[in-house]
Amino acid sequence: MRTIAPSRSYRFLPAVWKLIRLRLQISFNGFKHARTIRKILTIVAGFGLLAFTGMVSFVSWLLLDFLRSPQLTQYVGMDVAPFLQAMPVLILTALFVGILLSSFGVLLQALYLSGDMDFLLASPVPIRAVFVTKLLQAVLPNFGLIALFGLPVLYGLGFAGHYNLLYYPLILLTMIALTLAAAGLSALLVMLVARLFPARRAAEILAFIGAILAFTCSQAGNLYNSFGHSTDVSGAQVSNMFTLLMRFNTPWLPLNWAGQGLVALGEGRWLTGILLVTLTLGLSVAAFMVALATAEHWYYSGWAGMQVVARRKQQLRNVRPAARSEASHPVTPSRVFPDLWMGHLLPAPVWGILWKDFLLLRRDLRNLSQLISPLIFGVIYSLMLFRTGGQLPAGQGDAPDWFINSFRILLAYGNVGMSLFVGWMLLGRLSGMAFSSEGRNYWMLKAAPVRAGHLLTAKFLVAYLPTLALGLFFLIGISFLQKIPLAGFLYSLVAVAMCLAGMNGILLAFGALGANFKWEDPRKMSAGSLGCLGQFLAMLYLPLAFGLFIGPLWLVSAFNWSQVYGTLAGLILGVGVTGTCAFLPPWLVRAKVERLGEA
Amino acid sequence: MPGPALIETRNLVKRYGDKMAVNNVSLDVNGGEVFGFLGPNGAGKTTTIKMIVGLLQPTSGTVKVAGYDVQTQPLLAKASCGYVPDTPNLYAKLTGRELLRFVGDLYDLDRKQVAQRTDELLRMFDLTAAADDTVDSYSHGMQQKASLSSALMHDPKVLVLDEPTVGLDPKSARLIKDILRQMAERGAAVFLSTHILEIAERMCDRIGIINKGELVAVGTMNELRSLGKTGEVSLEDIFLGLTGAAEEAEIAEILK
Repeated sequence: MRTIAPSRSYRFLPAVWKLIRLRLQISFNGFKHARTIRKILTIVAGFGLLAFTGMVSFVSWLLLDFLRSPQLTQYVGMDVAPFLQAMPVLILTALFVGILLSSFGVLLQALYLSGDMDFLLASPVPIRAVFVTKLLQAVLPNFGLIALFGLPVLYGLGFAGHYNLLYYPLILLTMIALTLAAAGLSALLVMLVARLFPARRAAEILAFIGAILAFTCSQAGNLYNSFGHSTDVSGAQVSNMFTLLMRFNTPWLPLNWAGQGLVALGEGRWLTGILLVTLTLGLSVAAFMVALATAEHWYYSGWAGMQVVARRKQQLRNVRPAARSEASHPVTPSRVFPDLWMGHLLPAPVWGILWKDFLLLRRDLRNLSQLISPLIFGVIYSLMLFRTGGQLPAGQGDAPDWFINSFRILLAYGNVGMSLFVGWMLLGRLSGMAFSSEGRNYWMLKAAPVRAGHLLTAKFLVAYLPTLALGLFFLIGISFLQKIPLAGFLYSLVAVAMCLAGMNGILLAFGALGANFKWEDPRKMSAGSLGCLGQFLAMLYLPLAFGLFIGPLWLVSAFNWSQVYGTLAGLILGVGVTGTCAFLPPWLVRAKVERLGEA
Repeated sequence: MPGPALIETRNLVKRYGDKMAVNNVSLDVNGGEVFGFLGPNGAGKTTTIKMIVGLLQPTSGTVKVAGYDVQTQPLLAKASCGYVPDTPNLYAKLTGRELLRFVGDLYDLDRKQVAQRTDELLRMFDLTAAADDTVDSYSHGMQQKASLSSALMHDPKVLVLDEPTVGLDPKSARLIKDILRQMAERGAAVFLSTHILEIAERMCDRIGIINKGELVAVGTMNELRSLGKTGEVSLEDIFLGLTGAAEEAEIAEILK
């Protein structure tokens, strides 16, 4: 029998190279075996990225030119040259802090939750090599993004300031060192968290908090502006901002040493430059090495600990008392909710799927963040609506009467608009992803005796009921605050309920046609062009459907006819078309639903 | 004595583009019978099974389960059938008990009976203590047992299992073997694919061997022995003789 010689993979650097080569091979194979259209799109995206890099460089050049312009100096009343010198400090600090914060979630996923960990840890590969490869894999995209925006500015500053040649390679080297240090520190934090909490739960909580924070922060600016804060920036404000940023450029912050050292080297202040850059590089390498050394102990023990915790939990379960013994009973088909009147409304499988989906939506935090975001958007935009008063501006100007009347009708139904907006956001997730969200569990539904019509009904209701509830929440709240008359409210109620139902039908049908069950990462659940087409059609549908309800009201108002005719016509047209959209698209795809998951 | 045929496939074909995954497979599995379905990796076992349980549409040919055509009467056929896939992909955020209740709803079972049946199955598979934990906290073996519990929830006439003993400890594997035998004794048809020839040899009344999409042999152990070369007495010899003699020689050469 032949013997197999020990591999060089026991050594650190060859092992890292092997693992990196593996990732490259996987990426290359992914490209090689992709569909032609995807290959073309990837190549186009590559060229697009190059063009974007060129554009960023050009904009940076313009920006730097603007910052050096005498007009700006005159406008802000101060010399901005010190600010320009502080820019490398700001960019490198942003790089460090950005990588430190953004890589936590990615590292948690890469270090503890990726599918290849069992394989890698069981292989005779140094744990440090696995750690470093995962770290690089996790931080490279963020590093690339920050470098894409930061490097043109930093190089532009160098050209503008006639910095010596040493400045340029050192910029890149410093950025890499700071990235590794930040990623190393972030990894330490990840390893610490993974020792204290289950990694999967930590990732879910992190994603939830991150999503909520992102939504809230992105909308806080809108809300701030809507409360009457001017977006115009005065010279004094710019001056204050520059002063504040320059004040940040203090030598007492170690984070600033990199930028200050690079500028000093560029300007030929060798002693200061070499000292600060060497300190930065040394500290960065030290931080990274500490992370590496700690990983040797913590990473493996943390990983192994996860398995131990699972086993311990299992053992605890086994010592609990078993349930009372009962005789075997034959199982016969019957109604699931025989005692409830609701049980007669819908078949048992529909109730079962409804119940299951609501449970899963509630329990999975990744879903919850997507469900809460429409609520946050709705609250913020409602506040903005009330802040602007939802009233017509005083006076009529040169506008004709019919225009003012139309505008008044539109504003009167602002409650409907807001309800439809939040509904559209929620349905995009619930209805468009109704089938895709089943993922690899879809076999359970497919192998069960469930009619396609029942499945579509269940998925329709899973999306529609919470959306309707959220839409009504906003409709009732805004209508109450706007003191909308009862008749107008009831009309709005019908319009919202029907417009959402129609949109749900469209999104559900396209979601079913483009269902993707082969995802591991929920972010890839929506892969596919048909879902996007559905979203696009829903965007077109919504104003049209809304228009069918308020169009007749506008017409009778323009011609001074009785409102009753407008209301009746709106109801007939609106309910007819939206009802058709609610039922027809799902009905058309029912045959396709029977064959889902067979590709 | 075997009952009526509860699984019938006739000239079953599944083609993926130019590749013939399953080619002209015709077989019957009777009530009261445990049928073992063997074949090398990629031979078409899982594809055949998926066509039997209605997860895949055949390119041509027919499948009947409990007398119902899977293509034209899918609901009746599926209602008679329980299926355990090779990988237990279950809803991770449902508890074991909730999963079984959900399956009870899908099969339109009586709620009170669902509760009783759930308790029985959880106890039988030693999952009672973990019944209220979410499935994502289960080990692979526990998930496999939960998957089997789901398949047995509606007491099916036909049970189709794809590699049911993978990842199970000996005690659980023995339990599954006992359950399958009991089901067969109660008149159900059990169709299982496995790589463990010892299980097939000891458990199955009849065995089918598929190779490169074609059913190369069907019969009892004695019937299979008569098909093999002289001296081939074990199922392993017969299986290798029918499917993998060349590969076997190649492996031996590598290991020299």
